[in-house]
Amino acid sequence: MRILFQAGLATLILAKGMAGSVVLAQETPNKGGTLVMAFPQTPRHLNSAVQSGVATQIPATQLFASPLRFDDNWKPQPYLAESWEMAPDGKSLTLHLRKDAVFHDGKPITSEDVAFSLIAIKQDHPFESMMAPVEKVETPDKYTAVIRMSKSHPAIILAMSPALAPILPKHIYGDGKDLKTHPRNSKDVVGSGPFKLVNFEPGRRVVLERFDKYFLKGKPYLDKIVIDVSPDITATTLAFQRGSIQMMPFFNRTVDLRRMQSNKQIAMTSKGYEGVGAMDWLAFNLKKKEFSDVRVRKAIAYAIDMGFVNKALNAGLSTSADGPVAPSSPLASKELEIYSVDLKKAAELLDEAGYKIEGGKPRMKLVMDFVPGGGNAKTLAEYIAAQLRKLNIVTEVRTSADFPSWAKRMAERDYDMSIDTVFNWGDPVIGVHRTYLSSNIKPAVWTNTQNYSNSKVDALLEQAGQEMDLTRRKALYAEFQKIVTDEVPIRFLDMVPYYTLTQGNVGNVPTTIWGPVSPLDEVFLK
Amino acid sequence: MKSLIFKLLNGLVLVLAVVVLNFVLIHAAPGDPVETIAGESGGMSEELRTQLRTQYGLDQPLPVQLGRYLGKVVQGDLGYSYYFNMPVSSLILERLAPTLLLVVVSVLLAFSVGTWLGVRASRNPNGWLSQFTTVFSIAGFSAPVFWTGMMLIILFASVWPVLPVGDMTDSASTATGWAALPDVLLHTILPATTLAFVYMAQYSRLSRASMVDVLGSDYVRTARAKGVSERNILYRHALRNAVLPVITVLGLQFGNVLAGAVLVETVFNWPGLGRLAFDSVLRRDYPTVLGILLFSSILVVVMNVLTDLVYRMVDPRIKTS
Amino acid sequence: MSAAITSTVKARVPSAPPAIQAENPWLEAARMFMRNKSAVVGLLVLLAVVIGSVLMPYIYPTDPFEIAAAPMTPPFIEPDVWLGTDYLGRDVLNMLLFGGRVTLLVGAVAALLSVTIGVTLGALAGFYEGHWFSSLLSRITEFFQVLPALLFAMVVTSLFSPTLVTVTIAIGIVSWTATARLTRAEFLRLRNIDYVRAERAIGAKNGRIIWQVILPNALPPLIVSATLAIGTAILFEAGLSFLGLSDPNQMSWGLMIGSSRAYVLTNWWAVTFPGLAIFILVLAISLIGDGLNDAFNPKLRER
Repeated sequence: MRILFQAGLATLILAKGMAGSVVLAQETPNKGGTLVMAFPQTPRHLNSAVQSGVATQIPATQLFASPLRFDDNWKPQPYLAESWEMAPDGKSLTLHLRKDAVFHDGKPITSEDVAFSLIAIKQDHPFESMMAPVEKVETPDKYTAVIRMSKSHPAIILAMSPALAPILPKHIYGDGKDLKTHPRNSKDVVGSGPFKLVNFEPGRRVVLERFDKYFLKGKPYLDKIVIDVSPDITATTLAFQRGSIQMMPFFNRTVDLRRMQSNKQIAMTSKGYEGVGAMDWLAFNLKKKEFSDVRVRKAIAYAIDMGFVNKALNAGLSTSADGPVAPSSPLASKELEIYSVDLKKAAELLDEAGYKIEGGKPRMKLVMDFVPGGGNAKTLAEYIAAQLRKLNIVTEVRTSADFPSWAKRMAERDYDMSIDTVFNWGDPVIGVHRTYLSSNIKPAVWTNTQNYSNSKVDALLEQAGQEMDLTRRKALYAEFQKIVTDEVPIRFLDMVPYYTLTQGNVGNVPTTIWGPVSPLDEVFLK
Repeated sequence: MKSLIFKLLNGLVLVLAVVVLNFVLIHAAPGDPVETIAGESGGMSEELRTQLRTQYGLDQPLPVQLGRYLGKVVQGDLGYSYYFNMPVSSLILERLAPTLLLVVVSVLLAFSVGTWLGVRASRNPNGWLSQFTTVFSIAGFSAPVFWTGMMLIILFASVWPVLPVGDMTDSASTATGWAALPDVLLHTILPATTLAFVYMAQYSRLSRASMVDVLGSDYVRTARAKGVSERNILYRHALRNAVLPVITVLGLQFGNVLAGAVLVETVFNWPGLGRLAFDSVLRRDYPTVLGILLFSSILVVVMNVLTDLVYRMVDPRIKTS
Repeated sequence: MSAAITSTVKARVPSAPPAIQAENPWLEAARMFMRNKSAVVGLLVLLAVVIGSVLMPYIYPTDPFEIAAAPMTPPFIEPDVWLGTDYLGRDVLNMLLFGGRVTLLVGAVAALLSVTIGVTLGALAGFYEGHWFSSLLSRITEFFQVLPALLFAMVVTSLFSPTLVTVTIAIGIVSWTATARLTRAEFLRLRNIDYVRAERAIGAKNGRIIWQVILPNALPPLIVSATLAIGTAILFEAGLSFLGLSDPNQMSWGLMIGSSRAYVLTNWWAVTFPGLAIFILVLAISLIGDGLNDAFNPKLRER
């Protein structure tokens, strides 16, 4: 009798458990709770229309809505715009806005606000190419906005993402003050997104709470989001393990990741970073004699063992970036010149180029810089320097005192080679073109600091930037990628191993192409 | 009274000199706040850079910039942070309280424990407590304060996790105002102890030496001869005089406290003025750096004057040169 | 030099009967110092560190910045990397040996700079007391005392691209006020004693009086102060390199602690050993300073 009872009980519990997991998938997410997030860098202010960078975008995408949002397949989804049409000639994008969206102060969101915001972004956003062809934004009626462009610009769709196209209230920001230094950028921010600002303590934290009149009814699920800004990753990791922090986005310390992989109470995902497309690479200064010869560049490319980088240096947590376009992008090509490690070939190329080993002297002496500020840059620099030593190239790894010092070196072309981390930002027009266009050889960091100049590449990029047909566009970019990987102005290394770490009780962890830099209105706490 | 006013005026001139020197230095040096901002953005167009430079007045000649800055400072306007675009004065005020808390707690701790140790040790100058005090005082001075902090972190994070090891409050806590006090005090323990450790060493040594001197003096011998109890002698007669040099050191140190605070605040991620200073230097946020330098100099001058006052109050016989 | 001065001065002053003539005070002090056990230990430790830092790179010539073994190898396990490796795989022992050179070099030179400035300004201020020149020097001393030392050094090194030279200069120019005040006090005390008056009576120039008469007699407390100044300079350098404001391409103990700070919980040996090294070195110097203090002032020696 007892055995039966126990068996019955066991079966019941098992069934409940299984049923529980089945039910969980269909149950409505609970409303409520505070999500505490940790991020190492502080935002300067909260207006992502005039400031780029993930630090600003994480809070800004909660405060401000954009015309479109994206799923995990690069497909645009309705957000502030219920529907939209791109003209066949690609020179205009018509957005049909929802009629029920309001700002945090209750005023309705209209096409006037959209027009105002997009023009502001064009004028003040650090990324020029994103809105460059936009000439004006017409507002034929209260809920329709038509973006008119001087040439076809398929990138405009991705430019409507939450991270890049926050819709600002014209009645607040349209007072004539310069948006870059507007007082409402950090205080009393009135936004259009799922969360409103409670408090911004610069350098410490951002506190957000649910906006009750958010146009997606029933959302957001969370009551509050607290973004804890703490440069001390050791302390935040500790707090995360103790449970006081629920989410750590853009986490890339592979040592800690490896350690936490076995912790069953924590969820770790690398999804959500396809849009940002962050890659590490080794840039060559083509102005230097050694690097003006493509054989030298190829030789160095052959000296690097990406298998080692991915498996040993990054604990198996990263993947290779083999070309200028992130592999997760729909426009990435598979036909690239890949450089598998081959020290013999590298030596041959160097000999060919005239850099032979003569009488115990090294082939050449180089200085390797790297972008400061955490991440794997230094490790990569040290590793590559060690590899080059095997080729009798003496490499000194030079640490820059801080970011401005390194940026100055790059801007003034006062470097031999440098490790850098650069983001694609969705459409290649936004984040890829700037590195390879000969017209973008400017005295500033994150332009064409390699001084690479290829008129064919210039033409391809110009064309591809305007090509509306996806198949043709893919082909154009494929050719571009082939040339660039063949000419190696840059030796691509790995995709930055960004992971989103969450406690087990966080549901709907953001895994669209924009991941954490998108509205967290569907996240809930179990 | 007159000399006090004179001292204050003198201090004012000094503070001004500090500001001018640093202003010139900062603006003469290479390095660019606009570059930092561009870095945060992941890139910035040239037009925008030029715009920002003009907005910040960075394209003006140095004397013009200096004049403008001084003019504003005299009116109490410390300018706007390049980085946060917020008034420097409000940034400083926000970060002032945590630093004050940290400093006051650690100085109190150091003073009380240190003096107590010194006084007890002075009663038995050859005893083990005295030896311990000597070693302790030298050790406290020799160990780098940031290293001591990190050792404490290792102890309390891995070995014996009973105290929080970073920040001023728990990330998850949303309590504000007085409700947050217990959490804050708990978080203050480790950083304050680290900072106190350095000063404690000095106070124990100083108070012991001072007490030994005073205990051997005629004044005390007379009191003993008159039959005053040992306890009374120690705490009423001797201590009062022995405490003078300690007060001097206390006053002088308080002014320089920002230096130790920078290191401790960095190690413990304490949201104070020291860390703000450090971060601002790295970001080339000139107005904030200058504001903090100004503030710190004023603090030193004020503390010097106060120390003088207290000194004179405790012993009116003493005339400061 | 000192013996000559003492004898010269003694020759001009009515001296005590030869039988009670005091021994050379320097030898006396040296003997007192040698009797102080902790001071001698300190001296030996210092010598060991100096010799080790100078010689080691010849015995152990690997570049400390090179990757030596697997990252985060614990200490006392691999004989090749006896003190383990840091998060990049660099040999902790190697870094320790190389780091000592920079730490000692910067500490010594910065201390030398600060003592030179301090003694010069203090001597002049003390000697010309009452003169406007002395007041000016006092103002300057006050100015540098009010200037927040670490902050100012941070500003200087970060703005003028941190190299060993800028770091040394930055530390030197903010640390001299204590020495200056001490020197001035000594000079005030000594400028009217007998043999100075005697020198003046025979028409000796001011310069000679300052540098060759008063200064040698003021030396004992100054030497103590200079010794402690080295300790302070070492701690200062450690603090700056910990914050990342020193030359990042020169290995130093502070830099070791600072660069491994992010991994302090899993890589504690990369932080503990350099800190211990700084501690021991500064401790040794403090003990020496204390010993010197006692040796020069047997009457005022604290028990």
